[in-house]
Amino acid sequence: MSGAPRRIFTIAIILALAGALAPARAADVKLTLWRLKTYIPPADKILDTTIQDCAKKIGAEVQIQTYTFDDMWTKYTAAIESKTLPDIAELDAVGPARLANLGRLSDVSDLVGTVTKELGELAQNAEGAVKFGGKFYAVPHYSNALLLFYRKDLLEKVGAQPPDTWEAINEISVKIKKAGILDYPQGFPWNRTGDGYDPAMSLLWSYGAAWVDKSGKYIGMPKDKAVQAIKVATAPYLTDKTAALDYLSWSGSGNNEAFMAGKIAFTPNGPSILFQEDSTKHPLRKDTAIKIMPNGPAGRNLALTFVMNWGVPVDGKNQKEARAVVACIMSKEKFTAYMTGSFQQAVPLFRSLLSNDYCKVIVETVKLGRPVGWPGPTTPAAAEVISSNVLTDMLTRVIVDKVTPEKAVDEANQRIKEIYDRLPVK
Amino acid sequence: MAQGPVSGAGGGAAGAPRQSPLVLARPADAAPRAARLAWHRINRVQERLLAYALILPVALLIVGLIAYPFLNAIWLSLTEKMVGYPAHFVGFKNYVTLWGSSRFRIVAWNSVVYTVGSIGAKVVIGLAMAVALQKAARGNQFLRGFLLLPWVIPTVVIALTWRWLLDLYRGLVNVSLLDLGLIKAGFHWLGNPDLAMLSVIIANVWRGFPFFGVSFLAAMQTVPQDLYDAASVDGASAWQQFWRISLPSIKGVVAIVTLLSTIWTLNDFNIVYIMTRGGPGAATHIFATYSYELGIQSQRWGMAMAASMYSLPVIALLIVFVVRYLHRDEAAS
Repeated sequence: MSGAPRRIFTIAIILALAGALAPARAADVKLTLWRLKTYIPPADKILDTTIQDCAKKIGAEVQIQTYTFDDMWTKYTAAIESKTLPDIAELDAVGPARLANLGRLSDVSDLVGTVTKELGELAQNAEGAVKFGGKFYAVPHYSNALLLFYRKDLLEKVGAQPPDTWEAINEISVKIKKAGILDYPQGFPWNRTGDGYDPAMSLLWSYGAAWVDKSGKYIGMPKDKAVQAIKVATAPYLTDKTAALDYLSWSGSGNNEAFMAGKIAFTPNGPSILFQEDSTKHPLRKDTAIKIMPNGPAGRNLALTFVMNWGVPVDGKNQKEARAVVACIMSKEKFTAYMTGSFQQAVPLFRSLLSNDYCKVIVETVKLGRPVGWPGPTTPAAAEVISSNVLTDMLTRVIVDKVTPEKAVDEANQRIKEIYDRLPVK
Repeated sequence: MAQGPVSGAGGGAAGAPRQSPLVLARPADAAPRAARLAWHRINRVQERLLAYALILPVALLIVGLIAYPFLNAIWLSLTEKMVGYPAHFVGFKNYVTLWGSSRFRIVAWNSVVYTVGSIGAKVVIGLAMAVALQKAARGNQFLRGFLLLPWVIPTVVIALTWRWLLDLYRGLVNVSLLDLGLIKAGFHWLGNPDLAMLSVIIANVWRGFPFFGVSFLAAMQTVPQDLYDAASVDGASAWQQFWRISLPSIKGVVAIVTLLSTIWTLNDFNIVYIMTRGGPGAATHIFATYSYELGIQSQRWGMAMAASMYSLPVIALLIVFVVRYLHRDEAAS
């Protein structure tokens, strides 16, 4: 061999040896996962550890990005348009409907089947948010139940029993105000946060004022029933004066703060108030109680808005690995660890776990939950009704702009119809 | 002897000036006419190419960062575009729909109130600040820096701070007024529709008045002291000096600062979104927050673009005023 070829041969041998002797490379598979940043940091920490463990198990690296309820759709909207959805996406109650309708979520029916084998059958009321056309497009992760928080000490002072109806909340609020205990005890904020639109749905549905039929097609809110619901919801602001106008401007944590500051006797919220009071040894903890959200003439039809689900977007190049990570997160061992460490934030949606000793009120709330768009399934149109704040706007039109409840219902029905005309149920 | 380069650049250290590699040497006067014409032609082309090459980076930036998004926004406003779906041309349907919407008319009115209220207050407070600082004999520099603080603090921090200050129960404003015995019950600053608009205007004014004040002060300091001295001799009061000398002298700066700030305020988002999210109801919804609600939450990009485009004619008109004013000033000087 002459000089040049010999040199090339030698270099090739050296490179080959170097390659063979080099330490094992970092994982080839890199996944991205987006999840909700909740109000309970220890739960988030457990979930992150679980996700990393699951990825390591299959030899993948996972990069976790978080969003809050407020900026979730800002992040997803940009990703939908730029086709950069993550490999694994934790989605809210309306996310699967929106993304599946765009053809951006993989069919995960097999994955749901695997999870079901271990955790038991999926709760029927959770299906509406993830199953479309007979296929599952997301794996339900957990539900964060919206509860009625109340001050039992104040109720005792005015000789009232824990309320079971919307009217009872109003009556007790009046008693508390008249007794001079609190100026504005009624803390239902009909605003643009989950604490506004979730109770708004529960209120309307418990008065029989749903806007769709069972197939999810628009029928309009029955005027008499919706007006009845509006009158109950607006009385504390307009006639009883037991709710302060300021409550309408609360951010997502405004009612938590007001409750813990001892300024209100009632408010709808997830279990995060309990977590905050427990972890800070709050003096009001002993007086804080929870109850299932109120009943109405048409029953207790609670909105199951805070349901989180795992979706596997079609944009991801590592579908197999993404599914494996979701399956691992939802394994009994991992999910139970998350659930028990979540301070009752994460309520399971699979039967074997729903029947355990988890806080009964919270589990009962989830069992009674109805998907967004009830009595039909969750649809992109139902999602837009919520995200466009149509329902809470209807209530604030009466409180703020002083229009009649009848006119407010007409306006809301008109807006909802326009949405359903534009996004017909397939 | 051959002529040197005509570029005028260069000039070597010794002897003949250095020849630029980009510029062709000028032919001698004795050279044939055709050669001289060819030289002129080539030189012109070279100069043009150089000019284009120099403006290309800026042109690319303008096209990529301003023209494309702007034209795309106009295009989207003429389409039915939902996030994730293809856009369908619908002409002016979005504009017509918005025009017919009572909610949008509330938003448009709110935008006017918010902008006019904020700018009016900023001009008055800014003028007062400038006059006070001009008169201040001691601590002038410190005060100038100190009063600029609201301008340099991030808007998010300002909005959150004002949100807390105006809280019904824990806010410093209500607590102070109650403690001083001036009121019997706290104001619903962010819940009462009228007070909510006033609150977001106050926060906006607090953020923006230093810019006005410092700009006015800078302009006032260019007014010759002789004018004030002469006015004093003639017995003019402080108010007359301000009204007859200061204000006319700085009217150009007042106009430009006002117009620029009007454009910024019409496009404002952070303060309103953080403090009220446009509420209660739609009492403080302005163009930007409404467009956000339509575009991000409802995923209706076409409609969102149309909503934000409604403020465009006003902004365009203001830009024309600013540019013409600047040109007029330039020509006068």
